Amino acid sequence: MDRETLTTTPITRRRLLAGGALTGVAVFLAACGTKGTAATPAGSEAPAASATSAAPGASAAPVESAAVAQSPSAEVNWANWTYYMDVDENDPNVFPSLVKFTDNYGTKVNYSEVVNDNEEFFGTIQPALQGGADTGWDIVTLTDWMAAKLIRLGWVETFDVANMPNFTANLVDTYRGVDWDPEGNRHAPWQSGMTGLGYDPAKTGELTSLAAFFTPDDRWKGKVDFLSEMRDAIGLTMLKLGLDPAKPTREDCDKAVAELMAARDAKIVRAFKGNEYAEDLKSGNVVLAMAWSGDMIQVLAEKPTMKFTIADEGGMIWTDNSLIPKGAAHKYTAELLMDWYYQPEIAALVTAYVNYICPVKGTAEILKAADPEMANNPLIFPSADIAARLHIFGGLTEEDESYFNQQFAKVTGKG
Amino acid sequence: MGTLLKRHRWIAPVALLTPGILWLLVFYLYPAVQMFQTSLWSGSLEKGFEFSFSNYTNYTEGLAEYAPIYLRSIMYAGAATVLTALFAYPLAYTIAFKGGRFKNLLLFLVVAPFFTSFLLRTISWKILLSDESPILQVIHMVPFVSEDFRLLATPIAVISGITYGFLPFMTLPVYVALEKVDFRLVEAARDLYAGPWRPGGAIAGFIVGGGLATVLGIAFGWEWFLTGLAGAVAGAVIGWLFISESFIRVTFPLSLPGVFAGSLLTFIPAIGDYVNAEMLGNPDTMMIGNVIQNKFLAQNDYPAAAALSFMLMAGVLVVIAVYARMLGTEELSASAGRL
Repeated sequence: MDRETLTTTPITRRRLLAGGALTGVAVFLAACGTKGTAATPAGSEAPAASATSAAPGASAAPVESAAVAQSPSAEVNWANWTYYMDVDENDPNVFPSLVKFTDNYGTKVNYSEVVNDNEEFFGTIQPALQGGADTGWDIVTLTDWMAAKLIRLGWVETFDVANMPNFTANLVDTYRGVDWDPEGNRHAPWQSGMTGLGYDPAKTGELTSLAAFFTPDDRWKGKVDFLSEMRDAIGLTMLKLGLDPAKPTREDCDKAVAELMAARDAKIVRAFKGNEYAEDLKSGNVVLAMAWSGDMIQVLAEKPTMKFTIADEGGMIWTDNSLIPKGAAHKYTAELLMDWYYQPEIAALVTAYVNYICPVKGTAEILKAADPEMANNPLIFPSADIAARLHIFGGLTEEDESYFNQQFAKVTGKG
Repeated sequence: MGTLLKRHRWIAPVALLTPGILWLLVFYLYPAVQMFQTSLWSGSLEKGFEFSFSNYTNYTEGLAEYAPIYLRSIMYAGAATVLTALFAYPLAYTIAFKGGRFKNLLLFLVVAPFFTSFLLRTISWKILLSDESPILQVIHMVPFVSEDFRLLATPIAVISGITYGFLPFMTLPVYVALEKVDFRLVEAARDLYAGPWRPGGAIAGFIVGGGLATVLGIAFGWEWFLTGLAGAVAGAVIGWLFISESFIRVTFPLSLPGVFAGSLLTFIPAIGDYVNAEMLGNPDTMMIGNVIQNKFLAQNDYPAAAALSFMLMAGVLVVIAVYARMLGTEELSASAGRL
């Protein structure tokens, strides 16, 4: 990939916290105040393993594992999203950071890019998990709310964090103590990304407000993709309406759905898309889209005239997390592998390729030495100013989640 | 062995049927029963499911909610079926009667797209119909075409995608039916003064083409009169040029079983299709397959998804029963036999 085009891409509000950009994330996380961060002060490094397990399904794994001397298995199976791993320049099927892992432990990593959609992937592992069987995966990487759901269902293994010293030491503090995994021993954050406006300024002019998505302007009417991910579409709409996505209620949902419906009826929306909006933006089918930061870096690399903006009203931030599904055959090796990516040098390899926000301390410093321009890219290391405007979609109870999904399905024409 | 088979004549048919029956039992009947069973649950993944008729007792609400989507699915699948028939018939006719030594090659070409994955072919349609594609650029050169006219993310794209996807399913049965037509019958008809049928063909074409185009026009909210007129004129021209009396009296009736079989092979999978609507459509073109997929995978509402699937299955069964009744089941089995 051409780093020049990546980093010379104009980004609005370019105020960089060189090197310490991740503290920017810290600022916004503290500002948003998820329930969990209040309970566990950021920065407290209470060893998760020693805490009593409160959630159902969590077993006292450290005790049993301590008794047996373990060695890495011959192979380990990982289900991840596409374009979420560093790729060898000459061979798209070689992942250098995984090769290094294999060299170190002798374990062959069966790395599969099979996750395209949280729910869809959930559908593939749900029967095995419900039946108490091995899903065939040792690591699955899923978004916050889906990770929370699996944990709530008791369908994940508790890590033996004694095997994961880097994870314990290098996880950025703001990721600790989320309300759905307060002890932080059932999920390991993989990458985070932002949701904002991706657009073609030549066609739409400068955009700084989410109102664009709901204004039938001739410049973009019928050429706008909305995200099919419920939390992103509803979240951005709530921000536009001045509601707080961190505390979503059914009334908020109704208001957001009405707003989205109006945009659909006004023929502003072309379609609700997953990652495919990126293709639409590149081909010119749409000139404005709800977009994810990592995708947009890749779009910008091909079409540098595009722009990605976190609107004045705010944007969404989300994290994909690695989990060990219940009954995984190679739990110990999975822990080693997750821990592998909490070494800043290894994490930097991934970040340099995938361009999402990395949850590993020290990565920015390493990248700064190797590729200062990248370390200054606000899409990877968002400035405090941008970070302050980012919101996490709050937790939903099962009933509310089903309500939100049902209402949202009406908007997308699927309910 | 031979004597055993002779003495117990039932063994051979049973042995021949067993693999098929077992296959259907395991991979069709069992899932179908399980689907029906699932539709009789209510609850959620986390709380667990329990037995309840609630997915059927809320019939009126369900109908109000999903009837438009079922109707749309029937309409799209129906339109695609008619269109495949209109495209496939001349194609099959040409291959069968004018193909000569290229017959096999032409048939191979009809099936050739199947060597590529369905998904890839649908994605190529996306590229073909995209706003900046050469096709659209040509269309935009035509006067009267509005500036924001587009094909991708419209019902036209969805129906075109389905039509394309199922074209071979129509072509092959029609071809098989036409292949079997004894050409001596046509010659006999000609001997009996069945000649060209220009006025008749033109009138028939006018009525059929006009009718179909008008229905399509109304269904999609286009200018129905102009659409109908265009269809009627096109139909009349085609009828004038190509329809002869021997065709209308001999060849066409003899090929009907193929059209019948092809329609079923197209309509049934088309009505449940969700890939075309998902990739080529917009929120206003979603079909029942998309709703079921969303209920199942996004909302984890397995009972409702199962109930909707069951209703779709039952509905399709009724439609087919009526269709078969109208055209006769012997024709169906006859054409199936030929396939």
